[in-house]
Parts: sequence; structure tokens; C-alpha cells
Amino acid sequence: MEKILLLLLILLPILASVWVFPLRRRDRRYRNLFIRIVPAAELLLTLLLVLVWPDASLELPGVCGIGLHLQAGSLGSLLALVSAFLWAATGLNCPNYFAAAEGCNRFYLFWLMTLGALMGVFLAADFFTLFVFFEMMSMTSYVWVAQNETPEAIRAGQTYLAVAVIGGMALLAGLVLLQHLLGTLAFADLPAAVSALPAGKRGMLYAAGGLALAGFGAKAGMFPLHIWLPKAHPAAPAPASALLSGILTKSGVFGALILSRYLFWAEIPWNTVVLALGVVTMVLGAVLALFSIDLKRTLACSSMSQIGFILVGTAMQGFLSGENALAAWGTVLHMLNHSLVKLVLFVAAGVIYVGTHSLNLNEIRGWGRNKPVLKILFFIGGASIAGVPGFSGYVSKTLLHESIVEYIHLLEHAGADPGWFPMVERLFLIAGGLTAAYMTKLFVAIFVSSRAAGQRLPLQSYLSRGTLTALSCGASLLLLLGLTPNWTMEPLAQWASGFLMADPGHSVHYFSWVNLQGALISLGIGAAVYLLVVRMLLMERGPEGAVYQDRWPRRLDLEEAVYRPALSALAFAGALGARTAASLGDWLVMLGEKILFTKAPGIFVPKHDETFGTYDRKPRRFLLGETFSFDLMLTGCGLIVLLLYMLL
Amino acid sequence: MLLLLPILVPLVGGIFVFRQKNEQYRDWLVVTLIVVTGVLVLANCVTPVQRLWLLTIQGDLGLVLNSDWLSKFFMVLAVCIWAPVVIFTRPYIRHAGHGNQFMGFYTMTLGVLMGLAQAANFVTMYMFFEVMSLITVPLVLHDATPASRRAGFKYLGYSVFGAGMALAGYFFIAYYLAVPDFQPGGALDFSRAAEHRPLLLVAYCLMIVGFGAKAGMMPMQSWLPSAHPVAPAPASAVLSGVITKGGVVAVIRVTYYMFGPEFLAGSWPQYVLLSLTLMTVFIGSMLAYREKLLKRRLAYSTVSQVSYVLFGLMLLTPEGVQASLLQMVFHALAKDTLFLAAGAIIISTNCTRVDQLRGIGRRMPVTMWCFTLAALSLIGIPPLAGFVSKWYLLTAGLEAPVQAFGIAGLVVLILSALLTAGYLLPVVTAGFFPGRDFITERREVGPQMIWPMIGFCAALLLLGVLPGGVIRWLGLLAGRFFP
Repeated sequence: MEKILLLLLILLPILASVWVFPLRRRDRRYRNLFIRIVPAAELLLTLLLVLVWPDASLELPGVCGIGLHLQAGSLGSLLALVSAFLWAATGLNCPNYFAAAEGCNRFYLFWLMTLGALMGVFLAADFFTLFVFFEMMSMTSYVWVAQNETPEAIRAGQTYLAVAVIGGMALLAGLVLLQHLLGTLAFADLPAAVSALPAGKRGMLYAAGGLALAGFGAKAGMFPLHIWLPKAHPAAPAPASALLSGILTKSGVFGALILSRYLFWAEIPWNTVVLALGVVTMVLGAVLALFSIDLKRTLACSSMSQIGFILVGTAMQGFLSGENALAAWGTVLHMLNHSLVKLVLFVAAGVIYVGTHSLNLNEIRGWGRNKPVLKILFFIGGASIAGVPGFSGYVSKTLLHESIVEYIHLLEHAGADPGWFPMVERLFLIAGGLTAAYMTKLFVAIFVSSRAAGQRLPLQSYLSRGTLTALSCGASLLLLLGLTPNWTMEPLAQWASGFLMADPGHSVHYFSWVNLQGALISLGIGAAVYLLVVRMLLMERGPEGAVYQDRWPRRLDLEEAVYRPALSALAFAGALGARTAASLGDWLVMLGEKILFTKAPGIFVPKHDETFGTYDRKPRRFLLGETFSFDLMLTGCGLIVLLLYMLL
Repeated sequence: MLLLLPILVPLVGGIFVFRQKNEQYRDWLVVTLIVVTGVLVLANCVTPVQRLWLLTIQGDLGLVLNSDWLSKFFMVLAVCIWAPVVIFTRPYIRHAGHGNQFMGFYTMTLGVLMGLAQAANFVTMYMFFEVMSLITVPLVLHDATPASRRAGFKYLGYSVFGAGMALAGYFFIAYYLAVPDFQPGGALDFSRAAEHRPLLLVAYCLMIVGFGAKAGMMPMQSWLPSAHPVAPAPASAVLSGVITKGGVVAVIRVTYYMFGPEFLAGSWPQYVLLSLTLMTVFIGSMLAYREKLLKRRLAYSTVSQVSYVLFGLMLLTPEGVQASLLQMVFHALAKDTLFLAAGAIIISTNCTRVDQLRGIGRRMPVTMWCFTLAALSLIGIPPLAGFVSKWYLLTAGLEAPVQAFGIAGLVVLILSALLTAGYLLPVVTAGFFPGRDFITERREVGPQMIWPMIGFCAALLLLGVLPGGVIRWLGLLAGRFFP
């Protein structure tokens, strides 16, 4: 029974997806009902799995070559549950968002397929299974990005696909190397296999891990492979953005977590690299978000920044090795919080887009002034991600912050130099402050400042019942988690971090003064940044009030400035070399033709382009004697070669 | 008799195809001939190994047929490709004209392939190999334009020159053979051969490079990109799907049935050939990436993909052979789908260049769906079949005793996969996502052209999800090369 359930979780959405087209042909309403029912059923099944068979496992030997192995439990189940919830929620929102759009059946088809693949990613018990579903997910989610078919969407889709394919192939190379080194890809066997590895092969292990990290990091939006995030999100439909940033990036994080925990545990070089990448991602994402004046682009950069926070937590687990409960809890809970927050914020952004047909802050300014429900929901999401005490984001950020502080204490206690960890802590607080600043910027722009010119008032209710349900479900979960951290979040974290081999840990007083301090410092930085940077530098007084300015230099774009030129240069160099080598054979043939045929009288005449030879009329210009002498010369050459051979 | 019949039925039946006046009858005749051949091949497969002495040339040298496991594998592969493609050919050739000629040579080629598969010694194989080159030339220059005639002669020249090199090599080694027939593990008289090892290795290199010309291996790959764009689509499909694999079969026979992996393992020709195949993999993909003509792009892709097969073979391990046999099957399926789709596009829209294919997915959705699935398989995206063979090939490379080449293989194959994505996926994305303002009417080709492609795609998906049986069977087959 449990085996069937596991299989059903993956196959149900995939098989259901093909019914989208026939149902639409019947009636639009049937299809809209269908895409609400399927994710809801999936959610129920996932709940059933979590509650009744928490340790279900399924082996499918021989499938896809090696055999798939699925295993429920702990972090994987939690993420599967979150993804089913996110799908069910966006399913409620989709029909409303796409009400006026044509050709959204294609979107629904791939939307459902991706759900099945994602379930496979989170329920995988070995890297092979994970890879199979990971690639499926990468390919199917391309359609989400390109769905709108605007020039930006197509270009963003290009970037997304390129990053996905390159990341996927790097991952494949890494996994093949791992399989070769360790002889197994099952998560449970990895730690033992790694400790049995001879010291001489450590370098190979790092190479394999690095390749796999590049693959997972590309999906997670880790620097320097984050380039697709800020492009894809504004171009994709809002429900797709919510899922892309809410849960698809988490699949990359999930993989990076497994790599860090099961392969490298407490290796200092590995964790240092992950920490450095995490810090850069965290700060860069926050800075980009602060500068952006596009609603969804801001949210996308915010996702990048939050992924940075999670990566920092991942690395801290490694540094703390024995006592890493705080870091592990923080990592897991921040993943959960970020998923829910991004659901609320992106669906709200979708509502705003449907109302205004724009995402530019200057054009949507003041649209939400008289919409209290949306205002409250957006506020809950924003406050939660900014880490305001009482909302869920506060708890996870506090845990992550505490883990860094704990490590500094540990180092000082042991009499060691804390090195650059105090710097990391400061950057962590600053990034938290920037989060508060850009969320304030968004909130003020949309819900507080005066209405921009040219906005139409909505004719009917701007929130459909489905959208309202989706938003309020997400927001109330955030509130519930944030207000009762000791009863809800801690057990969840304890359950999920079992997968990360964290120690049991002990309960934390979240609202004690020590812990509130960090959050208050962050919020203080945020307030300062908002007042000084956003209001002073990023806004300009215009004739009709303040105007948001995009002050980020256009030249500073990693993709346009580095990746695309570098790729085309590489392609050019490669093609030059390849063409030279490939035409070697043709050149030889041409040379032979030149020597043998050009001087000959008669009718067999070569063409000098890509020909072997062809029959053609040839004017008889050559005298017999001339060619005869040429033949004699060739014979002479042959004789000399023969003579040389005999002499030597 | 079961050895001879699969050769004779299409070969003799093909002659009657030329004379048919009625198109309907002709097509039925061709289909019947291929189906009968298929049945005969099946019968051949279930009967135990036989041996048939056709003709004595001199002493113990003669034309001998023998059906071992490799022959059976190749015969089944050829028939499985031939039958669906002929269904596609019917409407295509009505469009292109001169149907009798094409159908006739098409049928006869199948018979020659059966002979090539069942050849029991080098002379027989050489004979069928040359006949195969000759008889497929009319398929290439079917359109009879100057360009196609040139391409046809270029194809012939390279094939014959390659086979000549192989024959020259055979003259060197004939003296050292213990038995004239092919023998798993090598037919050389090893004690005598060991004395003249350097000479024999040169001869080996010569033979593989010669037969490699057919399989599109560097340095004699350049007939492929010339021949494919001018040949009719079904001809391209079988040429690239099966005929190039004929070259691979010859390479297998020489490597595993004449010299033997033990004799060759760790020798310089192995390293040279491994480097050549890896170079070919990269260069083929790179040139395909820069190519603008769709069919020539696919031809370059064949150059690169068939060298995957040769790379696996040159590893000289059972795992490598198993992986390359898998790649042989899955590449044949995927590449045939791609060429048939390209043919369908030409029939329906007359577009041959990649940049003309914007919005083609709206115009011909089913064709392009098949194209997409085949492209994903060729790149190696799970759960399609191409992924399985790629995984096996990569792991086999790393497990092989030639470690450095395993790592190099990993790098080159991953690079090539990226380039494959680079040259196939833009066709798909531009085809399905041309932009909002793009308006076109739906103009799909008929069911006779659609269904073969759908069949190939279904096979790719099925073999990708449940490849267990094929993997096990090909593993057994590969094990037989190493007695």
C-alpha cells in the first residue's frame, strides 16, 4: 500500500497532466476544476504519507537504467508536503490569473508534470533517482518561464534553459565521478563510503562534489549561477514565479544540503567555500533587490538573498559539526518559511499585475491604498521575511544568527582566532537589514504612497475567492508558525533535521532579550538604509511626487558582460579548431586531385570545393608531352623515395 | 537456408520492385518483402547457430555465412528501423518522384545488410561491405541534382577508399590468422602474431580507420555532412541510423573477432583510436552547433554520436561494449526520428534552414513533439533512452583500465552533450515559442508520416523508463565478445 502511494505521488500529476487538453476542449470550467482537484488530491496523499506511513520506501530495480529508490521521511517528506501545498494554493489562484490569457493549457500541462517530478526529487533515496527527476523538473519548468512569449520571456527562457542544461550536465559529471569513487549513490551509504575512501582520492571527491554543487547551485540561484533568477521571475506568470522561487530553488538547496551533510560533513575547505558563496549570494541578492524598481524582480532578488541565508546555515552545520542543532533547525525552518512567504508575496504580485498590467513600482504606486485585505496579507509576508519578531521569519533567522554566534564563541573559548566569522555575522545582520529595507520600499510604494496617474479602478472584486483562500492560507500559516515557535516550529525542525544528522538540540527562548537583540539590530539597519539610501538616493522628486529610480548600472550584468561573450568566444574558438581539423581529409583529397588530375588531359576534372571528383567536359589545352613529362617526374619521385627507403 | 533467405528475399524481391507499374502494388510488395524478411530474421534468431558455406575462393577461404549473436542483434536492429521508415517513405517518395528506383534500392539494401551481419569471415564481410556502399549510392543521389551527384560520388569515394584500407590491412594479417573465420576473442595465431606485433598493430589501425570512414570517424568523416542534406529524408534516416552502424559492426568484427581485446589492450592503436573517437565526438558536435542547415546539422550530430559508440568499443571492456551497443540502438531510434521529422518539415513547408523554423511547433505540433523527445534523448535527459546509454558509457569509461581516457571521455562527452543541447534545443524552443504575434495555420503531415515517428518516440520513452531487458540482453551479448 505504501509503495503504491509513493508511486502514485509521482505518477498522479504526470498522468493527470495529459488530460488538460481534452478537458479544455470540452469546457474551460472542467479544466479549471481539474487543475484545482489534482494538486488538492496530491496534498491529501502527501498528508496521508506523512501521517500514516512516515517511513515508506519503494525500490524500482532497473527503471531508468540503474533503478530508482524512493524513501519518505524527515526533510524530504516535509518539502514534498510544502510543494503539494504550494501547488494546491497556486492551483486556486491560476484560473483567476490566466482568466484573460490564451494558450494556458500548455502551462497547465507542464505545471502538473513538474509537480510529479518535484515529488520524485524530494522523495529520492539516492542521487541517481534525484538526478532523474531533477532533470525532468528542469526541462518541464522551462515552459513556465517562456509561457508568455514576450521577447523578454523568450530571452529569459533561453537563459533559464542554458543554466539548467549546463547545471544538469555538471551534476551528471559529478554524480558519475561519485559513483566511480564511492561505488554507491544511496544517501544512507555515502558517509561510510566516504570514510573508507583512500586519502589520495580526496581531490577527486572534491572535484565530484564541486561539479555536483555547481549543478545544484545553478538551480538554487547560488552566486555566480544566479543569473536566471532576476530574469525569469518577472517574465513568468505569477503562479509560476511563486513556485519557481518558493520550491524549485529548494530542490537545488536540498541537493546542496545532501552533498554537504553526507559527503563532506565537517570538512573545513568545503564548508568554507559554501559559506563564502552563501555570504556573497546573500548580500548581492539583497543589494540587487534594494536597487530594483520592478516588483517581481525585487522579489526574485530577495529569493536569491534568502537562498544565501540558507546556504550560510548549511555551511554553519558543517563548522559546528557536533553541536549543529541550531544551524540545522535554522536551515530547515528558513526553507519552509521562505516557501510560504514567496507564495504569499508572488501571488499578491500576481493580483497587482492583473489589476494594473504593470510591475514597475512607479506605475503600480498606491494601487493598494484602499485594499485592506491585500495590504494585511502582503504585510504578513513582508514582515515575516524581514524577520520582525512575532512572524515566522524571525525564528529561523534568529536560529541561523545564533549558530554563527555560537561558532564564534566556540572558537574564542578554544583560544583560536575567530578569523573572519565576526565579519560573516555582521554581513548576516546587514543582509537582514537590507531585507527589511527593500520590503519596506515595496510596501510603502504599493500600499502607502499616493496613487500613480493612469490607474484604472477595478470594475469588480480584485481578489477572487480562490486567490483569497490561497493567500490567507499561506499568511495564516506564517502567523501561526511565528507566534508559537516552541510548539509548532521546533517539533517540525527536529523532525526534518533528522535527515541532516543534526544532534537533538534543546529548546530555545526565542523572545528572550538576547535573541531579540539581533533582530532589532537588523531592523535598525533596515530603517536606516530605507531612510538614507532608498529615500535619499534611489528616489527623485518629480512633478507628481517621488519617482523611483533604477540606479543600478546597466553594464553591471554578469550574464551580458561575461557569460554570453565568453560563451560565444569559446564557441568561435572551438568551431575554428574543429573546422580546421575536420577539413584535413578534404584537403588531402584536394591535394591528391591537384597532383594527379589537373595536368592530365581528358575528361576527369575535379571541382575545388567540397568535392571528391566529378565528370565534366574539359577543354583540351594540354599537350601530350607536357603531361607525359609530368608523369615522368612523378615516376622519378617515386623511384627516389624507393631508393631512399632501400638505402636507409 | 534461414541464413540465406533473409539476404535473398529483399535482394531478389527488390529487382521486381523496379518493374512495378502500379504504385499501390509496388508499395505493398515492398512492405511485404520487409515484413517477410522480418519474420525470417525472427526465425533465424530462435534457431541455433548455423553455418553455411556458399562458395570456395581458394583453399579454406570462401564465402561463409554464420549467424551468431552479434549478427542477430544487428539484423533485428536493421529490420526494426527499416519497417517503420518504409511507411514514412511512401508519401515522401510520391512527393520526390522516381519511387520505383528508390524503393527498389531501399529494399535491396536491407538484404545486403543482412549479409553484412551474417558474414562469417573477413572476405565475406568485405564483399557485403562494398556492395552496401555501392547500393546505397543511388539512395543518396536520388534527386539527381549536380549537388547530390557530387555528394554521391564523394560518399562512394570515401567508403571505397576506407574499405580498401581495410582490405590492405587484411593482406598483412591474413598470414597470421589461426582460423579464417571470425572468432570471439580473436582469430589470430597469437604465438606467431606476437613476433610481429608492431606490424600487426599498424595493420589494425589501418583497418579501423578504413572501416571507421563508414561510421563517420575522423579523419574520413566528411562524406556525411555532404551526403545527408541532399539525400531524401528516409535515405538519411537509414543511412545515419543503420548504415553507419554497419561500419561499427565491421569495427567490432575486426577488433573483437579478429585481433581480440587481449592482443590490443594497452597498445598504442587503442590510445590513438580512443583519441580519434573523442576528437570526432567533440568536432562533430562543435560543427553541428555552428551549422545552419537542419539536415547537415543532424549529419554532424551523427558524426559525433556514432563516435560515442566507437569510444565505448575502444575501451575494450565488457562494460564499454555493452554501453556502446546500447548507444547504437538508442541513437538509431533518436536520429531516425529527427531525420524523419526534418523530412516531414521539408515536405510540409519546404524549409531547410534552421532560422526558417520559427513557429514550426505551431504549424506541425505532433512532428515537433517527436522532434523534441528525440532531441532530449540525444542530449541524454532522463527518462528518455539516451540517458541510459550515456550513463553506462560514462561509468564504463571511468571503470576501464585506461583511466586517463575515462576522465577525458567524461569531459568530452559532457561537453558534447552541452553542444547537443545547444544545437537541438533552439530549434525546439523557437519552434514552440515563436512569440506572441506569430500567426500560422496548422499544417501537419499525414498519418503515414506521423506514426513511424510516434512509434520511435514511444520506443525511446519505453526503453528509457524500462530498459532492464535490453540492458541485460546486451550485457550478455557483450560478454560473448570476451570468451
